[in-house]
Amino acid sequence: METHLVPGARFVDPKVLARVKDLELLARTVVDGFINGLHRAPHFGASVDFAEHRGYVPGDDIRHVDWRLYARTDRYFIKQYEADTNANLVILLDVSRSMSFASAGVSKLEYAKFLAACLAYLSHRQRDRVGIVTFDEEIVAWVPASAKHFHVLLHTVDRAAAERPGRLIDNLERLIDRFKRRSLVVLISDLYESPERLVEVLAPYRFGGHDLAVFHVLDPAEISFPYDEPSRFVDLESGEEMPVVPDRFAEEYRRLVREHIEALRARCIDVRIDYTLLETSRPLDEALFAYLSSRERSMRTR
Amino acid sequence: MSFLAPLFLTALAAIAVPIFVHLIQRERRTVVEFPSLMFVQRIPYQSVERRRIHNWPLLLLRIAALAAIVVAFARPFTAVDPVQAAASGDREVVVLLDRSASMGYGDRWARAQAEARRIVDGLSGSDRATIVAFDDTPEELVRASSDAGSLRAAIDAATVSSGGTRFAPALRLAQSRFSMSGAARKEAFLISDFQRSGWVRQEDIALPEGATITPVPVVDDDVATVAVASVALQREPFSGAERVTVTAGVVNRGAVAVPGLDVSLEIDGRVVGRQTIDLEPQATGAVTFEPVTVAESDVQGIVRAGTDALPADNSFYFVISPVRPVRVLVVDGDAADQAGLFLRTALGLGREPSFVVEQVQASRLTPELLSGKAVVIVNDAALSSAAAETLGAFAERGGGILLVVGERTPPGGWAAVPGTVSAPVDRMEARGATLGYLDYSHPVFEQFRDPRNGSFSAIRFIRYRAMQPQEGDRVLARFDDGAPALVERRVGAGRVIALTSSLNGTWNELPRHAMFLPLLHELAAYLAQHETPEAWVTVGRMLDVSAPVAALVREGQLSAAGAAGDVRGVVVTPSGRQVTLGAGGAESILLSEQGFYSVRIAGTGNRPPYVVAVNLAPEESDLTPIDPALVLASTVPGGVAGAPMDVEPLSAAGMEKRQSLWWSLLVVGLAALLVEGALSNRLSKKVVRRVGVQPGGAGTEG
Repeated sequence: METHLVPGARFVDPKVLARVKDLELLARTVVDGFINGLHRAPHFGASVDFAEHRGYVPGDDIRHVDWRLYARTDRYFIKQYEADTNANLVILLDVSRSMSFASAGVSKLEYAKFLAACLAYLSHRQRDRVGIVTFDEEIVAWVPASAKHFHVLLHTVDRAAAERPGRLIDNLERLIDRFKRRSLVVLISDLYESPERLVEVLAPYRFGGHDLAVFHVLDPAEISFPYDEPSRFVDLESGEEMPVVPDRFAEEYRRLVREHIEALRARCIDVRIDYTLLETSRPLDEALFAYLSSRERSMRTR
Repeated sequence: MSFLAPLFLTALAAIAVPIFVHLIQRERRTVVEFPSLMFVQRIPYQSVERRRIHNWPLLLLRIAALAAIVVAFARPFTAVDPVQAAASGDREVVVLLDRSASMGYGDRWARAQAEARRIVDGLSGSDRATIVAFDDTPEELVRASSDAGSLRAAIDAATVSSGGTRFAPALRLAQSRFSMSGAARKEAFLISDFQRSGWVRQEDIALPEGATITPVPVVDDDVATVAVASVALQREPFSGAERVTVTAGVVNRGAVAVPGLDVSLEIDGRVVGRQTIDLEPQATGAVTFEPVTVAESDVQGIVRAGTDALPADNSFYFVISPVRPVRVLVVDGDAADQAGLFLRTALGLGREPSFVVEQVQASRLTPELLSGKAVVIVNDAALSSAAAETLGAFAERGGGILLVVGERTPPGGWAAVPGTVSAPVDRMEARGATLGYLDYSHPVFEQFRDPRNGSFSAIRFIRYRAMQPQEGDRVLARFDDGAPALVERRVGAGRVIALTSSLNGTWNELPRHAMFLPLLHELAAYLAQHETPEAWVTVGRMLDVSAPVAALVREGQLSAAGAAGDVRGVVVTPSGRQVTLGAGGAESILLSEQGFYSVRIAGTGNRPPYVVAVNLAPEESDLTPIDPALVLASTVPGGVAGAPMDVEPLSAAGMEKRQSLWWSLLVVGLAALLVEGALSNRLSKKVVRRVGVQPGGAGTEG
């Protein structure tokens, strides 16, 4: 366990988390510690906060009429809240074989599992409904969002294993019709797809009223490409082999990965999707903290 | 290019190893499971990049190292036609020019020089020649030079020496010259009269393989030479001087009789005698001249016999010095008796050397009496301390003392007495003692080693004085009970011998015994350090000045300390050259010229110089030639070398050995391996630093 520069927050090394087998305990450890250190914690109960008044139109539920205002102004106004009801959190967890990669310590899948558990725990604390979908080339498991499904979700996450190749685009296209209620949809994947194609598939979620957050989980080796010895590279998903002499090749690879990440970030911003790049070497709570802080800032400016 | 062991070339397949390592094994060695090859596949030159050589210099170094080592083991050489190579290659030529005295016969030397010049003229630009002039020792006049001018000059400047002939040292020098040369052709030319005496036995000489030796005989069909082979000197004392009769031995080496040969005797440059003799072919004769009176030392004599084509051996040089009598002082005890009678009588009979005896009583002994004396015999006398001191100083200067120890000799001793004298021993009851041990290795008894020269065993000794020798004393004779009879001690430059029994005829039978005379003569001559001077020596000996120096010390003209140290002087050779001896000059001088060497030793004032006569080796007069084939047969491997251009075809092994390319290749290969090792180490360290943490975990294996 190591302490980072954010005052009051303590972040847990992913390698330490990997030794905690109980996902709920893990999530509680991360989130409680993280929230306790965060002095602005009350802001996170904002789902029932008053937002604004608007004029009554026929069809509005008269229970939302502000009668006190009517008494003063003799006109009907409807009270609107930021979230007038419990939100849905649906996590889309990519469990394709590429997620099993680990250059040191924690694999991408493990890191993604921790992240999913933490997000679910956080939402469950806020009385939100939580659900999860795991997929590789098909939908592996689907837990509909429910206030009672927290433990089912944790069980599903715990059981998830990267065994088959993935088809991210197809699955995302397939899943969009299944979310009837507006939800906070969180996609956790290594996103080995074309940024244009990916955003093209994700944009309809946004248009459907869903709030979308994308966590791009990558191993540090996937970014820095530290290999130097000529080696035979095997694609974890397709099984394709390729002899690689990484000497001058590495620089080109790093450039392509950099461009890929930047393209993803830019496209997501274009359609108001929260994009967060997570390296498995970073402490999970630090990543979570950074994400939630930025999300809070974006909600204030809305 | 050919190979001595071409099968080794199959190992060149090993060159594929580094390529395999570079291209195949290194890539297959590591398998990296990667999440997606999406980006890897997008890099356009990936297929070229992954198959290119990782490090060209490293690969080339490895290949070069392996190739060099493999080719070295295959023993490469350039196969060339040996005849063509011999005809076209550089030559290492050694000209062995005989300059022994026999080459002075007729025009042999001029012909030999002409032959040598002809060989030098036949050299091409890249050939190198060494000119070696030899007699009994070889001398390199010019070493491995291509300069025809200096080679010719060396030949022109060479002269006939007085030395004998020995082929072996000269051939050994040629062998050494060839072994150091890398020339394609090695040729030696032996220009000589091939005297039989020059090849005394089979010598261990092996010229390198492929070397040729060509004899160039310089001989004459009929030789006619007369030589004075020896001189005998017969001495007779004559009125304080000596009359010397000179007899010369003359040899006719020719096949024709020489009638009426004129033989002359020169003394100090003046002809004092002339004789004629008839000599048959291959016969010897003797010529005796009238006696010559010799009063001074170092008289120079020459016997000359006729004139012929080899003038060097027509003269024989010798030196006559009168043999000086040994002056002896007998010191008797104060009680006069007949004690000295035996001594004086015995010494008076001496001839070679003769003795001049004086007698004095012990109490009257003075240093002046010792002047000019070589030996003092203290005949059973009690000496005062002053007399003992005087005798001690006499011995220090090189004088000899014979101490006859009898009943009057006091016990104890003084500095010069060998050992300590104690009480008399009476052996009457045992019918007297005899001599039980004699040191025949000592010069005094050396003459008596042969039993025919007499025996001392019958001499009875009734009484003698016991003596305890000290450390450093040498016991020359012991009685049968082990008691010392004769003891010697070296004192300074002189010698002291003590006889432990008297010579007055009462204690023993010695004075009346036949062995007394020769024993006393030997003792006196030894104590006087008397040596009959050599009338002549042969060329090749070293100059020995020990005899004249010892004489000078005895005469008081040179201190003993000076003689023991560095003897300095000037030597004038027969050719008139002056050589400084000692004191930074020559340490020793080789007597290499025929004639008289004059030696003037520093510190001797106006004393005439010491003269040494030097003659040719007698065998130089024998011009009988030996077949050159006999010399060459035991010199050149594989038989007699014929014409100069005879070249033995070289075997493949011979050519390879001569070129020795494998050695260079092996060195190059090992050096390349060393550089490769250093380079790859450096690259490996660089890689480790760059990678830091290697990929591992679930996605990596190997």
